[in-house]
Amino acid sequence: MNPKEEKVKIIAEEFTENEEDAAVGRRKKKVQRQQRKKQPPTAGPEEMVSENPHLGPQQEPGQEEPKTHLLSTTARRGPRSLPPIPSASRTGFAEFSMRERMREKLQAARSKAESALLQEIPTPRPRRLRSPSERESETEFGTEPGKEVRRTQQEDDSQNYSKVKFHDSARKIKSKPQVPPGFPSPEEAYNFFTFNFDPEPEEERSEEEKAGAKTRGGADQEAVSPGQQDEEELLDGREAEDLLLGLEHMADDFVAIRPAEYESVHRWLQKEKEMLFVPSRLTVPTYKKLPENVQPRFLEDEGLYIGARPEVARTTGNIMENRLLVQEPERGWFGDDGRILALPSPIKPFPSRPPVLPPGQSTAAELETLYKKAVKYVHRSQHMIGSGDPSGNFQVDIDISGLIFTHHPCFSREHVLAAKLAQLYDQYLARHQRNKAKFLTDKLHALRNAVQTGLNPEKPQQSLETTQKTIKEYKAEIWQTRRLRDAEQEKDRTLLKTIIKVWKEMKSLREFQRFTNTPLKLVLRKEKVDQKADEEAFEAEIQAEISELLEEHREEYEQKMEEYRAAHQQWKAWKRAQRARKKKKKHAAEEPPDEETEEAPPEEDPGKPVPPEPTDRAVLEQQVRERAAQSRRRPGEPTLVPELSLAGSVTPNDQCPRVEVLRREDVRRRSVYLKVLFNNKEVSRTVSRQLGADFRVHFGQIFNLQIFNWPESLTLQVYETVGHSSATLLAEVFLPIPETTVVTGRAPIEEVEFSSNQHVTLDHEGVGSGVPFSFEADGSNQLILMTSGKVSHSVAWAIGENGIPLIPPLSQQNIGFRSALKRADAISSIGTSGLADMKKLAKWATESKLDPNDPNNAPLMQLISVATSGESYVPDFFRLEQLQQEFNFVSDEELNRSKRFRLLQLRNQEVPEFRNYKQIPVYDREIMEKVFQDYEKRLRDRNVIETKDHIDTHRATVAKYLQQVRESVINRFLIAKHHFLLTDLVVEEEVPNISSEGSGILGLSLFKLAEQKRPLRPRRKGRKKVTAQSLSDGDVKLLVNIIRAYDIPVRTPTPSKFQQPSRTSRTFVEKHAASPSTHSPTHSADYPLGQVLVRPFVEVSFQRTICHTTTAEGPNPSWNEELELPFRAPNGDYSTASLQSVKDDVFINIFDEVLYDVLEDDRERGRGIHTRIERHWLGCVKIPFSTIYFQSRIDGTFKIDIPPVLLGYSKERSMMIERGFDSVRSLSEGSYITLFITMEPQLVPGESVREKMSVMLKKFDSQEDEKLLQAAEKFQAECALKFPNRQCLTTVTDISGKTVFITRYLRPLNPPEELLTVYPSNPQATAELVARYVSLIPFLPDTVSFAGICDLWSTSDQFLDLLAGDEEEHAVLLCNYFLSLGKKAWLVMGSAIPEGATAYVLTWEQNHYLIWNPCSGHFYGQFDTFCPLKSVGCLIGPDNVWFNIQQYDSPLRINFDVTKPKLWKSFFSRSLPYPGLSSVQPEELIYQCTDKAAAAELQDRIEKILKEKIMDWRPRHLTRWNRYCTSTLRHFLPLLERSQGEDVEDDHRAELLKQLGDYRFSGFPLHMAYSEVKPLIEAVYSTGVHNIDVPNVEFALAVYIHPYPKNVLSVWIYVASLIRSR
Amino acid sequence: MAEVHVIGQIMGATGFSESSLFCKWGIHTGAAWKLLSGVREGQTQVDTPQVGDMAYWSHPIDLHFATKGLQGWPRLHLQVWSQDGFGRCQLEGYGFCHVPSSPGTHQLQCPTWRPLGSWREQLARVFVGGGPQLLHGDTIYSGADRYRLHTAAGGTVHLELGLLLRHFDRYGVEC
Repeated sequence: MNPKEEKVKIIAEEFTENEEDAAVGRRKKKVQRQQRKKQPPTAGPEEMVSENPHLGPQQEPGQEEPKTHLLSTTARRGPRSLPPIPSASRTGFAEFSMRERMREKLQAARSKAESALLQEIPTPRPRRLRSPSERESETEFGTEPGKEVRRTQQEDDSQNYSKVKFHDSARKIKSKPQVPPGFPSPEEAYNFFTFNFDPEPEEERSEEEKAGAKTRGGADQEAVSPGQQDEEELLDGREAEDLLLGLEHMADDFVAIRPAEYESVHRWLQKEKEMLFVPSRLTVPTYKKLPENVQPRFLEDEGLYIGARPEVARTTGNIMENRLLVQEPERGWFGDDGRILALPSPIKPFPSRPPVLPPGQSTAAELETLYKKAVKYVHRSQHMIGSGDPSGNFQVDIDISGLIFTHHPCFSREHVLAAKLAQLYDQYLARHQRNKAKFLTDKLHALRNAVQTGLNPEKPQQSLETTQKTIKEYKAEIWQTRRLRDAEQEKDRTLLKTIIKVWKEMKSLREFQRFTNTPLKLVLRKEKVDQKADEEAFEAEIQAEISELLEEHREEYEQKMEEYRAAHQQWKAWKRAQRARKKKKKHAAEEPPDEETEEAPPEEDPGKPVPPEPTDRAVLEQQVRERAAQSRRRPGEPTLVPELSLAGSVTPNDQCPRVEVLRREDVRRRSVYLKVLFNNKEVSRTVSRQLGADFRVHFGQIFNLQIFNWPESLTLQVYETVGHSSATLLAEVFLPIPETTVVTGRAPIEEVEFSSNQHVTLDHEGVGSGVPFSFEADGSNQLILMTSGKVSHSVAWAIGENGIPLIPPLSQQNIGFRSALKRADAISSIGTSGLADMKKLAKWATESKLDPNDPNNAPLMQLISVATSGESYVPDFFRLEQLQQEFNFVSDEELNRSKRFRLLQLRNQEVPEFRNYKQIPVYDREIMEKVFQDYEKRLRDRNVIETKDHIDTHRATVAKYLQQVRESVINRFLIAKHHFLLTDLVVEEEVPNISSEGSGILGLSLFKLAEQKRPLRPRRKGRKKVTAQSLSDGDVKLLVNIIRAYDIPVRTPTPSKFQQPSRTSRTFVEKHAASPSTHSPTHSADYPLGQVLVRPFVEVSFQRTICHTTTAEGPNPSWNEELELPFRAPNGDYSTASLQSVKDDVFINIFDEVLYDVLEDDRERGRGIHTRIERHWLGCVKIPFSTIYFQSRIDGTFKIDIPPVLLGYSKERSMMIERGFDSVRSLSEGSYITLFITMEPQLVPGESVREKMSVMLKKFDSQEDEKLLQAAEKFQAECALKFPNRQCLTTVTDISGKTVFITRYLRPLNPPEELLTVYPSNPQATAELVARYVSLIPFLPDTVSFAGICDLWSTSDQFLDLLAGDEEEHAVLLCNYFLSLGKKAWLVMGSAIPEGATAYVLTWEQNHYLIWNPCSGHFYGQFDTFCPLKSVGCLIGPDNVWFNIQQYDSPLRINFDVTKPKLWKSFFSRSLPYPGLSSVQPEELIYQCTDKAAAAELQDRIEKILKEKIMDWRPRHLTRWNRYCTSTLRHFLPLLERSQGEDVEDDHRAELLKQLGDYRFSGFPLHMAYSEVKPLIEAVYSTGVHNIDVPNVEFALAVYIHPYPKNVLSVWIYVASLIRSR
Repeated sequence: MAEVHVIGQIMGATGFSESSLFCKWGIHTGAAWKLLSGVREGQTQVDTPQVGDMAYWSHPIDLHFATKGLQGWPRLHLQVWSQDGFGRCQLEGYGFCHVPSSPGTHQLQCPTWRPLGSWREQLARVFVGGGPQLLHGDTIYSGADRYRLHTAAGGTVHLELGLLLRHFDRYGVEC
């Protein structure tokens, strides 16, 4: 083979490689054809040799065109295989062409005499030029010899062989010129070819060209043009011309014309068939898909759950099956049922990338926008600014369609039966619909089939073991199912029987009573069955059962047998052993007998085991048949289908006996209505509907409840009215709160049953309720039925305008409430929106053990599987925290352990203990552990009732309750506090206005300038108010101006009847008294005027700071001093809220300063004064700080609280009376002090908060009539317009926050019986006693407990239960008592000193009015100047409210005659008559007697505590207790209680003096209402008894507690100091 | 246990078409963050600029966080609203920016956007006020697929935030 040929072949090879994939078949054919063509001229043995030369040229032209067009391909391929080549080759090519041209010119220029080589040049040129790519590929070929080898060899062997051969030779040749491998060597190649191929035979070449031309005309024609284009692209225009020229020249030489190649379709198909496999579309028969001899098995029929298969077109499935069968026959792609194994749905349930929607179309939920109108903000309704959450209106629709009584007192006997029948029928229908028996039967069948198939060894590949196992399981299942089915069938049957029985009873009853009441009619429809088939089925069933049973028994038997055998074996062994032993024994018998005893005691006889009895088939059959007969329909017996209809007729009234007529009339008189209660508040009620004869009531009403909060409860109350009497509550029906998915229109009507426990006996045919009755004549077999029924309703959330359900946000939902419903339903247990939280859902699913195979749960499970696998439905792509765990700095625990953080957080949350922490340490180590102790203790003790402070448990619980109420209110308050009104932030000076009234009158103030200055009549200037924020400790001072006092008790000379006044013990004053010894106090008029009777001074103590005035003299001293006391807010918190809840009191104590001469020696008297100052407590005034804070100043004259017994002192009042000084004052004996108290700087009371809250509270709904509320508002507005300063009250807020009309609080209520019997004949005394009782209930101002929020009025029973309340509650209770005592009494709303706005009680005695202070129990005449009530705003009676429209409001100057419309504006008048409001108070109060023993115990404990306290207060002195005195005092206290602290002084003194003659005694009883221990201690402290530091002083302290009913305790504390006088 | 103080103010806003503006703001953090003190969200007053076109709020932000990780670094989200002559409020723009993570004072500018809505809604907005608002406010700061939303640019909110970091170096976070 010459090199030329080689070269050609190589080129051809290159093509083949390139085109291989596409044209393997074709080329092969071509080759074959070529062979066939060429064969005749060449000889057989030469074939191999000749083929190649033929083949080569043949192929070359055939693929030359493809090659030219493949130029680009190769070029493309170049860089892939060897990057640097293309560029290099191209330049090389360009270079080459240039050179070539040069050479041409050179050749043309040179003489022809040059070598023959030069002439040869044109000959190869056209070939080269016509396909430059050839060279291109040459170069490429040359550069990648290795690649050739790597290629797969798909050619025929011969070709392969030749190829390899060519390869090698080519490589051999190429390796020489191409030393640098990547270097393009066109020129070398050119030279190489031209030189080497010189002696090339011409014919061959021409043949080549012919072949090429021929092919060009043939199949691949279209490939030419692109090839040419490529050429043109590559070559210069000129060169292209040359090329074309050359082509024209040479065409004839190379081109041969051949017929178009054609291959018949037939052959094509045949070829393709060999190559390709087309799976059939026909259904594959099942047997092909299953292993041999295996029957298809359908799991679904066996009752197993199979998920829904993905939907695949049948043909596609078939194609797949066919393909699988051929391609991978052994892979087991097919399931037991002969279908392709498939997951339920392998398709992702959601697109992983949401589709891009055209704009304007619906977007994803979280991107949804809503067009909102521009809105005006109602600031009050929004506490928090959420990020755009919709607030406000939510709506629940409650559709009450009707009510059916399943029992009612007016039911006749027939009704009872009818109801029963209807119920049974319903049950039957329900069962029928479910048809469990049928289902179970089917299942049984399926299982049996499965066992059958399982037993047949059709699946050899399945291990025997597993088959056995499944069969065993199946059998167990069968057993279970059979039992269930039997039970179901039996139930069905009994139900049917019962229905028939009841119907029969009813029929007989109708016959018996000769009328019918109900239209019920039962028809039994018989359905014929094919007797034979039925019997067969029955028999088959029984046989199957028997066989199964038999099998079971057999198994059991075998098992027992096994056991038996084992036992038997054992027994035998034992027996043998026994025998052996016996033998041994025989041997032993010959030996000494004593050995016998040594022998081990014989083993216990195991007893001969009894072989188990094989079961008898007959017996079994018998059993089965019996059971079948019992529970199943007999074969051939027709199926009975009961049908209940209302087709019967009811006997008309005139044909019924009288009792029945009566019953019917009674029914007709009754009507029923329902009240709808939302969160225990009545919101609506249905119309009252008459009860129908069938005891059905149709309402058909839909209530739209507009709500704000998440509903906690929805209740319907069923009320029944008989005739015109009032409604009685029958029962309460609790409706479930709808799930958030339930919206109007989608909610199904549901029935809720209710029943009531009321007992009704009727005197007509009606059977009554809760009473036994009987159907039998003899009264046996009694039945007791309760009223019961069903309400059909539906509750759903309404849908707003734009289709959004009006559901409150989830955050409002109470989680605790929902927990009860947990487990019931996935949706309800986690809430619909909880579905977003997949973890929760998954957790619930695992907790509740959902059956993952249950089709009902399938979607849920799928959802969960998606969720738990990390993809949730809502694309939550922003997962910043997915690797949280890995990147955490610290663990949660460590974070929570940080004390600093905790402290910071607690401070931020305004937890009371930490609210006012100013600075928090930077490091944890600087924070003490004990900082949290108090707080933690409080948290712990929240539910533990602390009895240490409170001693008696009731009060402890009440205190706890109040504490909790307080906390909850304060929490609400704290929220409200952060919500500022404009006035909180902006202080705006009012613009002076000429026309307006009030302070800013420009005109009047101008006049004021001209006013005369009166320096002797100074006026107080208003001070600037300071907001509380900028304050700190020490900034605020309490200023107390003590001005003067009246009627201070004066000293009485020590009576010397029993004792010679010793010199040392005589007081300084007494020395100056003229004749001290014999004067009794009643004769004190003999005192010379101007004598110093008492030297009082005032001591003010506040927050344990004490200030006192100078000492003045006389019983009517005038101090006119200003005392300044610092004020410290609790925890340094000067916020309004905190200031409002300051519970401290200002104690203003009045003391008498007594000087004692302590000179022991008379001789020194002339030279020095040695006196000891002692102070004796006279009385006190207690003013709560909250009063000062709210009123900003207190100015007035107050009654001094003087103990009933003040030893050594007496009032001057007798003298006054005798002198006829002041007849008014006589009514109110006592001492008075004039005070002015204020704060510096003036603090702004938290009124704004108060208003804010009261506005908020008004939003709570009210049960009052809307009209009444409007009238009340109007009334108040009118009153406020006329007299803005007078208090007018029409509605108040009760303890649950509802607005209640005030007159509902007044109702005659019985005082404790005990009090009434004390003075049966003296109504005045009784009234006082009652007032005293009321005053003994501890006073707890609302402002303290509900810091500045608003007045909550509790009813009297609540008040008595709580044992705490403020003026209003006291006044209401007192007024109610007075009303019940038959007095005319009113509640007076007005202002008093020092309480401020308060409530008093006004009574009309025979000819005058009395004003009662309910908190102290004192009463005043109308014209008493010292009456603390200073102004009267309105009067409230049980049926009306009168507003004071007189000019003056002082009780001294007004007329209390409310009948005069000119003086009193009444609320209910002729235009608005009193509608007869029912009272909120209970019918009567029930009083429990207080446990005396507990009171006694409390008494002891208080005494002990007080004694300890006194000792604590005297740390530097010894405190001695005088037991004798103490016991004396203890005896005396009950007396005081009995007389209410009056008129016992003299006796008492005498008594004391008799017993304690040797002592100088100063002391007094204190009387208080008992609430806690702390106020008692405070009171004792304020008396200052412990301050005596005389060395030999002794103390006495006695406590007495008098229990009143209802745990009201009156505490008496007697403290005294004794100084031995000798 | 690292701590972050965010102290600063919402200075104001510029570039809004309406003049009486107020801003609702909130700070969103990841689960690792714990608010020790301060309020997470709030609302500024309505500012009607008399001079210039910048509405100044100077609304203080003062928050103290403790964190156990860097994930969920605080994000500020803002809603700018305008109040018209009738006292009605309508949305002008939503804005979002991260709280800076380096200590020191930072001047932030938070551009805002608002949903455009359909042409009908746009028309209604021009004439009667109101406008489309996001139903789910958290879209402002969560990375939901917003590409379906058509928005219009609002103005810019200017913030000045000071950051104090503590103990971050203890956990290898250099700052």
